[in-house]
Amino acid sequence: MNSAILSCTGLDKPEGSVAREVAIRMASSANSEIICPVLLNRSLARYKKVLAENPLIVVDGCSTRCASKFAESLDLKIDRKVLVADASKSSGLTLEPTLNLGANGLALAQTIVDGLVQSLTAPASTTQPAAPSTEFPPPGEYLVVTHDKFEFRIPSTDYWFNENDVWVRPLGDVARVGISDYMQQSLTDINFVDAPAMDLAVEQFGELGTLESSKAVFEVVAPVAGTVVAVNPEVLSNPTLINEDPYGKGWIVEARLADWKQDVDLLLDGSAYAAAVKHKAEEA
Amino acid sequence: MSETTFMSVPRDKISWHPTIDYEKCNFCMECATFCPHRVFEQREGDRRLVVANPNNCVVFCRACSKTCGPDALSFPDKQATIAQIRQIREQESVQ
Ligand code: SF4
Ligand code: SF4
Repeated sequence: MNSAILSCTGLDKPEGSVAREVAIRMASSANSEIICPVLLNRSLARYKKVLAENPLIVVDGCSTRCASKFAESLDLKIDRKVLVADASKSSGLTLEPTLNLGANGLALAQTIVDGLVQSLTAPASTTQPAAPSTEFPPPGEYLVVTHDKFEFRIPSTDYWFNENDVWVRPLGDVARVGISDYMQQSLTDINFVDAPAMDLAVEQFGELGTLESSKAVFEVVAPVAGTVVAVNPEVLSNPTLINEDPYGKGWIVEARLADWKQDVDLLLDGSAYAAAVKHKAEEA
Repeated sequence: MSETTFMSVPRDKISWHPTIDYEKCNFCMECATFCPHRVFEQREGDRRLVVANPNNCVVFCRACSKTCGPDALSFPDKQATIAQIRQIREQESVQ
């Protein structure tokens, strides 16, 4: 599959050099068209056609995420992302401290390229998340917390929250997870969802993927321990659904519960979370 | 005022806050600009940024580390922190 690739320029730190190397290798071996960030900055028109016709891969070197932020500032739709610093950690390949890549840097670049090629060529059936297993009725009554001109809604029943603004709604032995109205408003429009892998086993307060907006990268802190059984396919293709309907259509993950009775002990119910939101809004 | 309890455990009994690795930090101040809870403070002198109010940090939040290019911010182990919280809650419920 063809693609367009926008990477960090690679002139600030070794992670950037890896990002740049990934773009070069994707261009030579995987039909990717390189989008030069500096030229893109001068002339969006130069890349208009390529960007319109191909999925966009963004490769950031470090957490400053210059390439992502640049793409977002131009309203480019990002299909997939790589953060070299994370890939370095997860692969155990520690980078040499020079801008000219050493053996580990080159090996990391190839590892990232292999992963990208695999995900681009995999049949859709293996990359598509499983369909949700259960029908969840829409939320019922809401509590409303007002602060200045803002209104934050919180379902009064059926939903539990952690203090990290993530909700969980159990139904039988599965549960849906999403973020609260308060958090979606704080983040503003969400433009990328990095969902957890299917079958991932997560502890309570572990990481269930991340959400990105122009304001922040938000870690979805797992409200419960469990195993990921579904990811909402609609929020992957349209992340702003989380902003539009945070407690309903904007759910993010479905998990099979590991130990609800233990987990609920460290969760807030609707009215307790409403008090927490009031406190947060006043403090912010 | 900041939160003084987390899940009814006094906040100052929970050791959750960022630690700055001064070997890596380049004082870009992204983290300090990002965090709304006044955890970081800028200072005069060599260490221009310090974790001045560790107990203002939201337990289990690690958001500022995702803004840090040089990866200079680290946090305690989550599982150890959870164990600590559960233990304190149990002690308090038997009292
Ligand atoms: S974001 Fe990282 S490098 Fe920048 S001031 Fe904070 S700790 Fe230092
Ligand atoms: S972890 Fe969150 S609350 Fe704590 S200092 Fe960083 S951004 Fe602020």
